Amino acid sequence: MVQGNTPAPGSAIESVEDTPDTLHDTFTDSRGSRLYDHFKREWQIYVMLLPTIVWFLVFLYKPMYGLQIAFKDYSIFRGVANSPWIGLEHFETLFSNDQFIRAVTNTIKISALNLLFGFPAPIILALMFNEILHATYKKTAQTIVYLPHFISSVIIAGIVITAFSPTAGIVNTIIGWFGLDPVYFLTQPQWFRPIFVGTGIWQEAGFGSIVFLAAIAGVNPSLYESAVVDGANRWQMMWKITIPSILPTILIMLIIRIGNIMEVSFELVILLYHPATYETADVVNTWVYRQGLQSGQYDLAAAAGLFNAVVAFVLVMTANTLSRRFSQTSLW
Amino acid sequence: MSGVNLSGIVKAYGAVEVVHGINLDVAEKEFVVLVGPSGCGKSTTLRMIAGLEEITAGNLMIDGRRMNRIAPKDRDVAMVFQNYALYPHLNVADNMAFGLRIRKMPKAEIATTIADVAEILGLTNYLERRPADLSGGQRQRVAMGRAIVRHPKVFLFDEPLSNLDAKLRTQMRAEIKRLHNRLGVTSIYVTHDQVEAMTLADRIVVMNDGAIEQVGTPMELFNHPANTFVAGFLGSPPMNQMKGVLTEHGAKIGDTEIKFDGFANGQAGRDVIVGIRPEHVTLAAGEQTSALPIELDLVEPLGSEALLHARFGNDNVVFKADTKGDIQHLSGVGEVYVPAPLIKLFDAETGHALNAKG
Ligand SMILES: Nc1ncnc2c1ncn2[C@@H]1O[C@H](COP(=O)(O)OP(=O)(O)OP(=O)(O)O)[C@@H](O)[C@H]1O
Ligand SMILES: [Mg+2]
Repeated sequence: MVQGNTPAPGSAIESVEDTPDTLHDTFTDSRGSRLYDHFKREWQIYVMLLPTIVWFLVFLYKPMYGLQIAFKDYSIFRGVANSPWIGLEHFETLFSNDQFIRAVTNTIKISALNLLFGFPAPIILALMFNEILHATYKKTAQTIVYLPHFISSVIIAGIVITAFSPTAGIVNTIIGWFGLDPVYFLTQPQWFRPIFVGTGIWQEAGFGSIVFLAAIAGVNPSLYESAVVDGANRWQMMWKITIPSILPTILIMLIIRIGNIMEVSFELVILLYHPATYETADVVNTWVYRQGLQSGQYDLAAAAGLFNAVVAFVLVMTANTLSRRFSQTSLW
Repeated sequence: MSGVNLSGIVKAYGAVEVVHGINLDVAEKEFVVLVGPSGCGKSTTLRMIAGLEEITAGNLMIDGRRMNRIAPKDRDVAMVFQNYALYPHLNVADNMAFGLRIRKMPKAEIATTIADVAEILGLTNYLERRPADLSGGQRQRVAMGRAIVRHPKVFLFDEPLSNLDAKLRTQMRAEIKRLHNRLGVTSIYVTHDQVEAMTLADRIVVMNDGAIEQVGTPMELFNHPANTFVAGFLGSPPMNQMKGVLTEHGAKIGDTEIKFDGFANGQAGRDVIVGIRPEHVTLAAGEQTSALPIELDLVEPLGSEALLHARFGNDNVVFKADTKGDIQHLSGVGEVYVPAPLIKLFDAETGHALNAKG
């Protein structure tokens, strides 16, 4: 046996165990100093982030202070802080108010229609664009459908009102060709929802298709080539490759959409509705607007707004959880 | 007869012609490798055979049928892509079944086919996995499986191994060879790796700049390259090529004369390129050898052999030498010996190989 300088087996094992600790002490910095290094290295990124943070603080977080009036008997003379607490009284008022209940129902109905028709529209549009092979034709068609997005809602509403006008509108002109009497579309409650949802699709479907077109562009082209060699036709490729490939994008957009379910496009409703159509057209936001700003019931309006926000929050959380559970896709 | 026959195949993108009239006959069950530098038109040629690119001019026949205007799906070919082209949302079994379902094969038959092929490729335990959860080698196998289940007349491979690391590539190369021996399907394989070409091919097609330089078995191409391009492309390291002038008894490169027979009659003075394979030189003089004085620059040991990088006259040359377990003896080398029968000669202007006359 050679002994000499060779360490005994025991000591060799010990030194192996030693090493990680020594490394730990020498090379692992404290959390604070790592954070400091991180900021020092990446400060430009945080500077760029700053305006967004400020925007959120000023326009979204600071107003939350005022949210407390939903639980107070608020008067502008006493101010937010000095108005007395009244608990859930405003919420009781709200839920015993037929108009509010109607606004909630209308919101949900319009949103459901929007989800049913408005959500698939840009996806279908994107899939259709994807099938256009002629480049110039494709670009022209895309530009045309993007355009309404860039037109202000006021003008959109003006176009819609003109188009559906009983005297000069194109719709009634066409109806007239068939010898039928003109229909007063915008004053009849049963027409409001189809017109509103249709207008929304016309205005936003084209622009909304960009996200899906981008997702389609990201699909590996050799998937299609492989499918062509395997004998798939264009229809099969759309169903078996394109749609499954953009499914994560579709789900993300759906989650966002569900989070916005209580946010029916306020401007467009205001512009298109009419006391005669309140029955189907009045939504939570427009009701809040009339109660708060027009009738001065700020505290009641705040309670309604808060209710809206809580519902939206619950919905988006639920959608996200379901999506993560069933498709491994989620916003966060 | 599931041969593939290309005659006068041309591909042009607008005014730019990238494949200039290729003629090639691939026999049934043959494994043909298209090899050449990047951008020489290998993929384009393969994609024309698959039907993914239109053929500008010429005739493509598969199994005796003209295929120019036949849709890819009706050509009965299967293609393996460089990036595997696996459907990320389908598991291994569904990926392999894709083409069969499109062709409306009965369910039970699909199941047995997939099970058989998975068995051959060692994928039986992975059938439920998504491509994202597989290693590179496994993905490659799935891509092969997807081609195999179709039982096509012709397999087309476009650099199927180039995304794998060196070790896996060697392993998969052997697997492809074995698979071909077993299935016996006519295969056309594109690569830019000359080792892959040498090891896999029944015949190699060396392409350059949209045209075929030479077609032949690996050993034919290695031993009798038709021109300097092929000589420089096959073999690792490539053949040393040096400018020289023919003399009565051989050729002169700079001040050094290399002796060989067969070219001398009446051609003395002709400009030639002398080709010497790195592995053909010896460190000791033998019969019919000529000495090359070299200035040794660098010795790269590879284990059993070493590469000698050196200067010979105005040329940089590389030679191979046995290490015999040690590279000490190589550091002092000042001369190597070339055996006359192994020397290659090419015309200095055209680059065409010159054959010994009498
Ligand atoms: N759509 C196209 N339009 C114009 N030129 C093209 C097009 N596709 C390929 N080419 C040209 O055709 C030539 C051959 O391309 P190809 O893809 O066949 O090369 P390759 O031999 O497969 O090369 P690599 O080893 O890099 O894959 C290239 O010069 C390339 O620039
Ligand atoms: Mg290529």
